[in-house]
Order: sequence, then structure tokens, then C-alpha cells
Amino acid sequence: MKIQVNEQPLELTDNITIEQLLIHLGKPLIGSAVAVNQSIITRTKWTETIINEGDKISLFQAIAGG
Amino acid sequence: MLFKDMKTNDQLIVGDKSFSSRLFTGTGKFNDQQTMVAALKASQSELVTMALKRVDMQHRDDDILAPLIKNGMNLLPNTSGARNAKEAVFAAELAREALQTNWVKLEIHPDPKYLLPDPIETLKAAEMLANKGFIVLPYIHADPVLCKHLEAAGCAAVMPLGAPIGSNKGIKTADFLEIIIEQANIPVVVDAGLGSPSHATLAMEMGADAVLVNTAIAVSGNPVAMSEAFAKAVQAGRQAYLAGLGGQSTQAVASSPLTAFLEASL
Repeated sequence: MKIQVNEQPLELTDNITIEQLLIHLGKPLIGSAVAVNQSIITRTKWTETIINEGDKISLFQAIAGG
Repeated sequence: MLFKDMKTNDQLIVGDKSFSSRLFTGTGKFNDQQTMVAALKASQSELVTMALKRVDMQHRDDDILAPLIKNGMNLLPNTSGARNAKEAVFAAELAREALQTNWVKLEIHPDPKYLLPDPIETLKAAEMLANKGFIVLPYIHADPVLCKHLEAAGCAAVMPLGAPIGSNKGIKTADFLEIIIEQANIPVVVDAGLGSPSHATLAMEMGADAVLVNTAIAVSGNPVAMSEAFAKAVQAGRQAYLAGLGGQSTQAVASSPLTAFLEASL
């Protein structure tokens, strides 16, 4: 299954959830936000939202700023 | 009123939170995370700004969040990078998910040279975000008319600039800040451009409810010591404001009695 994460192509063997994707990518769960095809997925839905073929995932992370 | 009472009772209320410190701080531009945390602790700040960015898939970013949460700081995510109201609302909603707070420092500054805020898009975004239940603190030019519109839109505070972001030039907008402060029914937080503790003192003496400082602390020779200096400066300015400054005069007003006693003794 092919998806895009922040414009980078990624191939997955199984259908996985948002939370599993973040863990797979080694990204922190705290301080992160996720949008699938431009729709923000609330944190409470991360364990139940399955990623589908062709999905465009956007990952955001809190960083230092003024 | 005794100063002790002033300190005890002088809480700043913004939205649904109460603050003992009137110094808000940013987390950007520090050389390293350890210095940032030490400086923020030294500042006694209870509200710190953060930004949000698209994750770089090739690199791992430092986790700066954990030490901030551990030290009990309230987080104020900004919408830096947004070029219009739509992008700012999207950024605020992402920040709410990332940081689990409905507080947002609304900033829309499309021009990278001066980073001056876009008043039209900021007002649009403020209305939308307030309607969605966000606690909105908009970064704006020192425009008294815009401030009243933002107040009517439901913003929790306004954050007019003293000078362009990161310029360290101090309060170049003093006359307009005075009007904003006089007219405001919500807290006024002077943000951007404060380059030295004396600038922060001046803002507080003018009656600002708080100041937000980032660059002046982060890029100083000793950020921890500079944080302490800003904390003292903000307290001094606030105390002076509460005490009530003496009036100004164009002529000299003698501080000693002019009794001409030397002449009388001859």
C-alpha cells in the first residue's frame, strides 16, 4: 500500500492506524498533530483511524518559537 | 496600598487562567535546550510560546515539550508561518491537537522582511477562532481601532508590537500603545521588539498588563541572567504603575524649600 507522508512516498505492508504509523516512523505522540488528506484527525481518533491506499498524511510537531 | 499587598493580590487574568508573573516568554532562538529551560525557569514566566512545523522526515527534532510541561509552564502555541486567516485557523487547530490547549497566539505576517502582522486577515481569523472556542491572543500592530475590533471579536487579550519582531529596538509605538491601554477592556500584552529590561519596565509603567520577550533573552550573552533581569524589570515597572507615577512638568519644580535662609542669616 502506497501513501505519502509529508510529500515523501511510503510503502506499508498492512493497513495500520495513525498511532501505529507515528510509532513506525519513530515520531513522538506528544506534541504531534496529524492531518489525513487535509483533514485534522483528533488525538482520540488516532487508535481507530486506519490509513488507506493513496492517503496523503501531514505530520506536524511542536517546536521552539516566539 | 503596601507593595506586599500589591504583589499578593496583583494577579493577571487572561481568559480562563490567572498569572502571578507578567512576563511571558518565547522558546525560540536559544542555543540549546538546557539553556532555554534554565532561562525560562529564571524568568519565572508561567506562559511560554511555541511554534508548530511540518515534521522533517529525514531528521529527528529535539523534544522541547517534555521539560516545559515538567516545569509546569502553560503553553501558548503560535500560528507563525500562516499567510492568511484560513491557514492560521488550520494552524491553530493543529496546535490544539499537538499541545492539547485551546490557547493560541494568532500571528499572520506574510512579509518575511519586517514580519509585520496583516490586520485584515488577523481580524478574520480572530473571529473564526473565537467562535470555535479558542482563547485568542492576536499579535498586531499598535493600532487602537483594530484592538477594539479584536476585543469585540472575543479575543482574550491583544498583543500589540513595540517594534518589529526580533529587532530589539524597544517601544517605538509608545503613543499608540497608550491609547490602546487606555481604551482596552481586555489585557494588553506588549509583544515584539523589547530589546532590554528597561523597555519592559517602560511598557509596564505605561500600564501594559504584561510583556512577551523572546529574542532579547535568547540571544543575550547570558540568557539565564538576562531572564532574571527582565523578571525584575517587569516587576519594577508594574510596581511603579500601581504606585502611580508623578506628573511631568516643563519647568523645574524645587525638591527643597526655597526659603533663602542663607541671605537672611547675613
